[in-house]
Amino acid sequence: MKIKRSVSDQRKKQRYRIIAASAAAVILIAVALLAPMLSPNDPYRTNSAIIRHAPCAAYPFGTDNLGRCVLSRVLMGARTTIAVTFFLVAVSFVIGTAIGLLCGYYGGRIDDLLMRVADIMLAFPQMVIAIAVAGILGGGIAGAMTALGITMWTGFARLSRSHARTLRGMPYIQAALLSGKSGPYIMLHHILPNVLEPLLTNALTQIGTTMIGISGLSFLGLGIVPPQAEWGSMISESRAYIQIAPWAVLFPALATILTILVFNYLGDAVMEYRMAERHT
Amino acid sequence: MTDKKTEEDMVILEGTNLNKTYRSAGRTVTPLREISFQLHRGEVLGIVGESGSGKSTLLRVACGLERPESGRVLAGERDLTGAGPSAAGKYMQMIFQDAGASFNPRHTMRWSLEEAIPAGADREQAKQQMRSLLRETGMSDDLLDRHPSALSGGQCQRMSIVRALLSGAQILLCDEITSALDVTSQAQVIRLLRELRENRHLSILFVSHDLALVSMLCDRVMVMKEGACVEEGETQKLIREPVHAYTKELLGAAESFAV
Amino acid sequence: MAKELLSIEHLSASYGEKDVLTDISLSVKAGQIICIVGESGSGKSTLLKAVHGMDRVRVTGGSIRAFGSPVSAMTDEQRRSLLGGEIGLIPQNPAGSFNPIRPFEAQLRETMQSHGRQFDPAETARAFEAVGLADARGLLRLRPYELSGGMNQRVAIAAAMLLKPRLLLCDEVTSALDVTTAGKVIRELEQMNRELGTAILMVTHHLGIARRMAEKIGIMKDGRMIELEDADWILNAPVQEYTRQLLRDVPKLAGRERSGEESAGGLDDR
Repeated sequence: MKIKRSVSDQRKKQRYRIIAASAAAVILIAVALLAPMLSPNDPYRTNSAIIRHAPCAAYPFGTDNLGRCVLSRVLMGARTTIAVTFFLVAVSFVIGTAIGLLCGYYGGRIDDLLMRVADIMLAFPQMVIAIAVAGILGGGIAGAMTALGITMWTGFARLSRSHARTLRGMPYIQAALLSGKSGPYIMLHHILPNVLEPLLTNALTQIGTTMIGISGLSFLGLGIVPPQAEWGSMISESRAYIQIAPWAVLFPALATILTILVFNYLGDAVMEYRMAERHT
Repeated sequence: MTDKKTEEDMVILEGTNLNKTYRSAGRTVTPLREISFQLHRGEVLGIVGESGSGKSTLLRVACGLERPESGRVLAGERDLTGAGPSAAGKYMQMIFQDAGASFNPRHTMRWSLEEAIPAGADREQAKQQMRSLLRETGMSDDLLDRHPSALSGGQCQRMSIVRALLSGAQILLCDEITSALDVTSQAQVIRLLRELRENRHLSILFVSHDLALVSMLCDRVMVMKEGACVEEGETQKLIREPVHAYTKELLGAAESFAV
Repeated sequence: MAKELLSIEHLSASYGEKDVLTDISLSVKAGQIICIVGESGSGKSTLLKAVHGMDRVRVTGGSIRAFGSPVSAMTDEQRRSLLGGEIGLIPQNPAGSFNPIRPFEAQLRETMQSHGRQFDPAETARAFEAVGLADARGLLRLRPYELSGGMNQRVAIAAAMLLKPRLLLCDEVTSALDVTTAGKVIRELEQMNRELGTAILMVTHHLGIARRMAEKIGIMKDGRMIELEDADWILNAPVQEYTRQLLRDVPKLAGRERSGEESAGGLDDR
C-alpha cells in the first residue's frame, strides 16, 4: 500500500504541476489577447513632456525615451511575441510532421536526402543559422519567422520519422495494408494518432525557445522592428539609457523571462508526466 | 461425386520455386530456398519448423508483404507475384503472432474491425456479419467499444480472425498465432479455426513450431528447415512414418510435452 | 528428510489495490522440482515475485521463509545477495534483467564476481551450448538489444545455470522458445537438478512441461492454489474439474496418443 500510494501521490503532484503551469500559460495568453483593453495608455503615443518618467500611478512601468507607456507596450508586446511564436510553432509542427511521416513511412532516397538536410540544420546552433538567414532576408516579422522555422521543423520531422519507422512494421499496419489501405490513409489514421502525443509535448517545449529566438532576433534588429511593440526590440531600444531609465529595460526583460519560464515549465511537466506513464 | 472431388482438388493458393535472401547485420540470410507449396480449397496446410526456418517469411511473401527474389505466387488464376498486399488481401488475410499488436492501440475494436470491410461492400450488411461473427467466435458485442489493451491475448486473436473474415478473404495465413497464448486460449483458438473451416470451407496455411498443435488441425504438413522443405505429407502419415531425421526430432520434442 | 529451502505459509498478497494471492501454502525441499500451473492472470507469476521480492508485490498475510529466514524482514541488500547466490531467478522477460547496451560478457563477469565466483569462458561456452546457443564467444561480445527475446531468454537461463543456485525460480521460461529448444532447456534444468541437487520452482501454463519435470504440481486459479499434489496424482486422478480441463487443453500429437488417452484431438469432448 505504501509503495502504491507514494506512486499515485507522485502522479498527483505531477498533475498539479501541469494544471498550475497550464493556468499560468492561459493567463499569459489571455493577457496578450486582451492587451488593447488592459493597456492604460496608447502604447504608440509619444509625449515629449514625460520622457523617461519613473513608474508612477499613471504609468505603472514608467515611460521610455519617447515618452511611451512601458506597461502598455509590454502588454502589446506580449501579443506580438505570443502570436508570432504560436503561429511559427504551429507551422513548423505541420510541415515537420508531414515530412517526418513521409520519410519514415516510405524511406528510400527522399528520406536519405531530407534527413541529411535535417542533420546539417541540427549541426549548427539554432540561433547562428537564424541570425544568418534573418540577416540575409533583412529583418521584419516574415524574415524572423523564416529564419527560426528553417531549423525548427527538424525536431518534429525527426520525432515523427522515428515513430513512423518503428510503427510501420507493426502487425496492425500490415493488417491495414492487407485490407487495401493506401500509404496516406495509414499515415493519417494509424501512425499520426500514435505520434501526436510526443509531438505535442515537443511543441510545448519549443514555445520557450522560439520566444527567446524571436526576442533575440528583434533585439539584434533582425526581427520585429520598432515602433511595433515587441519585448526584444524594446530592450534593444532602451538599453542605451539603462542607467537613466532602467525600468524601460527591466519590465520587458521580466516579461520575457516570466513567459519563457511558464512555457518551459509546462513543457517539462508534461514531458515528466509522460515519462512516468511509460514506466508504469 | 466427381464434381466434389474436383472442387476439393482445386488449388486455391500456390507458391512455386520461391527464393528470398536479405542481408542482416553483415550476414546473408536465406529464409526461402526454392520452396514450393500448394494449398487446396478447404484444406489446412501446416508448416512446421524452428524459428529462423523461414516459415514466417513464406507467409509474408505469399500475401505480398515481402517480395520474393524469384518464383511465383498464384491465387487460382491470378498471379500475385509482386502485386503487393492490397491485391493479395482480396484472397487472403494474415493472423499475426502478436495478437495485442494486431490492433492499433489508439482505436476501439469496432473501428479496427470496420476498417477491414472492403470499400465496395454494403456496410450495413457487413456490420450485421460482424455481429454474427462475434457470436460465432464466442465474444460479446461489449468488447467492440474497448481498446485492444483491455482485451486478453486470446480475445485479441479471435478478433483478428473476425477481422480477417470480414474482409471476405477465403484463405487465412496463421503465423504462430497461439504461441503467445496460454494453453486454454490456445485450445479455444484451435477449436474456432476447426469450426470455421468446417462451416465456411476456409483454406488455412498454419505456421507453428509445435508439431502437436499442427497435428490437431492440419490435413497436410510441410516441414521446413533453413528455408527449404525437408518433408511433406499427410499429417497422419508424417507422424506415423517420418522419413527425415529433422522431422523425427520435431516429433520427439512434441511428444515429450504431451500429457 | 531433505532440508526445506523455501516455505510459504498461508500467504496472501496484493498488487496495487487488487488481491492477487489468497492463502497459499507451499514448501520446496532440497532437490525437489515443483511446477505451478495456471492461466495468465491466475497469480502464478505473482507468487514468484512475492518470493524474490524484487517487484511491488505487497504481502498482506502469512509468511515466506527462504533458507530459514523470513523474506519480508530482509533488507534490499540481503535480498539481492540471496538472489543470484542461493536463489537463482530466470524471469519471464529477461530483457528487463540485462542492461541492453552492455556486452553479455561484461555483465556475466560482473554478476559472477559479485557472488564470489570466477568467470570461466570454457564453462560459459558449455552452458551456452547446453541451451542451444552455438558460438558462445561471438555471442558474449554482443549486447542484449542485438538478440531476439528467445535468444536473450536462453542467455538468462545459461547465466542462472552458471551461478549454480540451490533453488532456481523459473517464470514461464519456455514460453518464448521453440518446442525443440524448450526441450533442450528442460533437459538442462533436469540435469542441473540431478547432478547438483538444485531445487526448482517453475511457473508455467503448460501442463506438458510440468509432467516432464515435476515431482509435485500445483494448480492455480484466481489467486488460489486449488490443487497441490504429487505429479502422478494431478495427471492421472485430478480432483478439480479445472485441472481436467487444463489437461485436455494441452496439444497432443493426433494419432499418437499415449495409452489411456480418451480422444484423438483432445479437444472434441467438451
